[in-house]
Amino acid sequence: MTAQPNVFTMDATQIDIVPIEGELNVGPQHPGSGHLRIYVKLNGDIIEKAELDVGYVHRSVEKLAEVRNYMHLIPLVERPAILDSIHMNLGYILALEKIMGVDVPDRAQYLRSLAAEINRIASHLYGTGILAVFLGHSTGFMWGFGDREVWVEVLQALTGARVTNSYIIPGGVRRDLTPTIKEMIEKAIRYQRKRIPEWKRIFLNNPNIRARLENVGVMSKEQAIAWGAVGPNLRGSGVYYDVRKFEPYAAYDRLDFEIPVYKEGDAYARVHVRFNEIEESMKIIEQIIKEIPQGNILSDRFFKQIPPTRLKKHYETHGKIVFPGYYASFRPPKGEAISRVEAARGELVYYLNSDGSPKPYRLRMVTPSYRTIYVFEQLAKGARYADLVAIYGSLDYFPPEADR
Amino acid sequence: MDQVKIREYDKNKNPFRLFGAHVAAVGEGIKHAIKPKTITLRYPDVSMTLPTNYRGMIRLYKDVCIGCSLCAMICPADAMKMTTWEGKKLPQINYGRCVFCGFCVDVCPVDALRETRVHDAAFQSRRELVFNPDKFNQDFDQTLPVKGTVRKVRAVIDENKGIRYVPDE
Amino acid sequence: MMDILQDIKYVIFYPSFFVMIIFPGLIAGGLFVLFAIWFERKIAARVQMRVGPYYVSRFGGIAQLLADAIRVALQEIIIPAGVNPTLYVIAPIFPLLFAFLPLAFLPIGVIPEQGSVFSAYYHSFFDPGVNMGVIAALPTEYSLIAVLAVEAAYPIFIILQAWATNNRFALVGAVREAYLSVAYDVLILMSVIATAVEYHTLDVAKVVQSGIPGIVANPLAAFVFFVGLIMATSRFPFEIVEAESELVTGPATEYSGLLFLLAMGGSYFGTYVYALYFAAVFLGGWYPLSGFPGAVILFLKAAVIVLFSVFLRSVYGRYRIDQALRNSWRLLLPVALASIVLGIVGGWLWIR
Repeated sequence: MTAQPNVFTMDATQIDIVPIEGELNVGPQHPGSGHLRIYVKLNGDIIEKAELDVGYVHRSVEKLAEVRNYMHLIPLVERPAILDSIHMNLGYILALEKIMGVDVPDRAQYLRSLAAEINRIASHLYGTGILAVFLGHSTGFMWGFGDREVWVEVLQALTGARVTNSYIIPGGVRRDLTPTIKEMIEKAIRYQRKRIPEWKRIFLNNPNIRARLENVGVMSKEQAIAWGAVGPNLRGSGVYYDVRKFEPYAAYDRLDFEIPVYKEGDAYARVHVRFNEIEESMKIIEQIIKEIPQGNILSDRFFKQIPPTRLKKHYETHGKIVFPGYYASFRPPKGEAISRVEAARGELVYYLNSDGSPKPYRLRMVTPSYRTIYVFEQLAKGARYADLVAIYGSLDYFPPEADR
Repeated sequence: MDQVKIREYDKNKNPFRLFGAHVAAVGEGIKHAIKPKTITLRYPDVSMTLPTNYRGMIRLYKDVCIGCSLCAMICPADAMKMTTWEGKKLPQINYGRCVFCGFCVDVCPVDALRETRVHDAAFQSRRELVFNPDKFNQDFDQTLPVKGTVRKVRAVIDENKGIRYVPDE
Repeated sequence: MMDILQDIKYVIFYPSFFVMIIFPGLIAGGLFVLFAIWFERKIAARVQMRVGPYYVSRFGGIAQLLADAIRVALQEIIIPAGVNPTLYVIAPIFPLLFAFLPLAFLPIGVIPEQGSVFSAYYHSFFDPGVNMGVIAALPTEYSLIAVLAVEAAYPIFIILQAWATNNRFALVGAVREAYLSVAYDVLILMSVIATAVEYHTLDVAKVVQSGIPGIVANPLAAFVFFVGLIMATSRFPFEIVEAESELVTGPATEYSGLLFLLAMGGSYFGTYVYALYFAAVFLGGWYPLSGFPGAVILFLKAAVIVLFSVFLRSVYGRYRIDQALRNSWRLLLPVALASIVLGIVGGWLWIR
């Protein structure tokens, strides 16, 4: 900023003409959610270029992974996307299980899917809330968080913590589903079903919100594929792709569900995908509750190592798995594995390389938000300045997840 | 692979429908203003009892502990450390580092650690966050500095309101 | 002794003083604006599953706004480097002033010849149009447009304020205000012209005394004016100038302390004054009462309008600037034109 001339002393020739081209520094602490800086180059109201200055909340997860043992990493990998912790956890465990060669009992598989779908609903509600507050719709923001609270409460009952669940462990899950939790989930589903029409009236079909989202940030099918969009953003552009269908993990191959795909590719389509996914997730949860098989929730290999007295005290009465001493520090065989899960924001890839020591040689995580950075920069080009936040919100970009 | 169904949203932009949608949105707002679905917990006048299996603050049973140090080994955040205390090897915890994952509780072979349902705590300094085995051996209890009694409630999922708080005895 | 009391009473109830300072002016208006902000927070909280202000005072935290206002007023005023300090300090006063000043022309009631506390001023505030005295700070027969004329200066001072703060976000906000004013001023003016044509007058008092509320006589004009009112005072869904997630606080970005209070107070006072005007012209004003009770009726009607317009925060997000402009020119301008036609027809056939 240049110093302003004194208006009372200057003559007409000294007046500063404000150029129509200019830069705006959005962030790094942004009232919406952004822990990132967006460097926006404007020409009038049109964005010429939006640069994402990522790394503001970088936590060095990949490097830290090289100095921690495998169990220590469970809470760590959750941290980048704390609102989607089950998926972050699940992807890592899937990769680890591939190296270890563990087979997971059916009931644990179903429970993994259950927790993941609950988490998906919570995460989508969070994302919708953030989008709403970006558009100035504070009710959508509060409703998103309020409804998410119900699902967080369910997760808390199931896993024992609100968001830092650390629920999935190598070979199974930590807690079993009890009738009380079943009842809670059924009630939560009924509640959410009642809420969706209300959401539609005040947010989704609100002409104001429609005006802000329709034909904003349009991404064609080809562009979405070329730019590497993932998850709901990809499906909003008419690409039928979901890891849950293409490479089923957990119990998804035994569950019947649809993948919502929208043709338009604009921000409104992406929001629609998220809302339909909430509905689909609720269908999946209902199926799981109905069909979940009986059995152990931990692989026999580890289950046998638990002392019988402790098993009786914890597992048989409270449905709680206690760890055998093995978990404190174990050495998986040499090898490498890659795992893919469909996290709430899209495809999440883990690459894990074990050299036979208790610590991984290398952990690589490709998070969905990381892949959104490029999409965002491309979509912002040529948009209006006010659309910056609509695009940002509709992509459901989560800075810590991208920074890792 | 099942049938791929590509959906489209409704693009009707008839001015009358637009007006109708405006009326519906305002009506929804008025409906909620008249019949609110408040889920805010009026903390600290009201405080929440956490569910039985909640992973809150941890306590130690000093006499049960065998000093195997598995808890210190599995702790992902280096919060749990083994110390020699009155001639015995016992764990101490630093709540400044603890992430409440509960691994230590689950891995303890003799159940010398237990999760409590307490999660609300305030400390004056970082030093206080380190619990030596003696302090660790007690149930953590901190009364809230609130005038009058704090009502204890329990969150229950409700079909109409989302979350309802019922008094907890 | 009695004489002095009489004199004090005369001065206090002298319409020019009473309207501007006491009721519905500075004191009543200021308290009502605080109430409106409290109401905005409380009603939004109810819609949004929250509680809202709660602790300050017994009744629903109603003193919260007073507490906030005192806190903000006592904060340090930071004057950024590179601005002209004089201009920076005086700039936020103008929008507030020009949001408030139009009240001077707005009649808030009529004075009967006898029986009212205002009857003493019957002759000095006589309005030949309605054949009665009017309670107005500056009685004029052209009050219908005089109010708008002064109010129209408001956006200019918003731009001045933004320019004085020398901040990019503020400038973008000011440019948006400039664009938006083109849209809403036209709408407001056209709906008022429709009313003027229909009632054959430019005097608010005469419109009210005709006994037919504008919303009955010309519902289209009332609707257009209401939308224009929301736009003019940056209420949701047209809170485009201050757009928090895009522009921090728009033209008020750099202000802190008392200056921030002044900078933000303008739009609320604007809403209040516009609402009084709307209540007088379209909602039947004080009719059939006169004197002070009539003014109270007018105030209550305006209060409902203000509270409804702040309630819209919990229903809407904000439009984009081009959408607000397009909607107002493409959708509302035809309605405004139709309202003029309706006004002509109504004035010709119905209202003599």
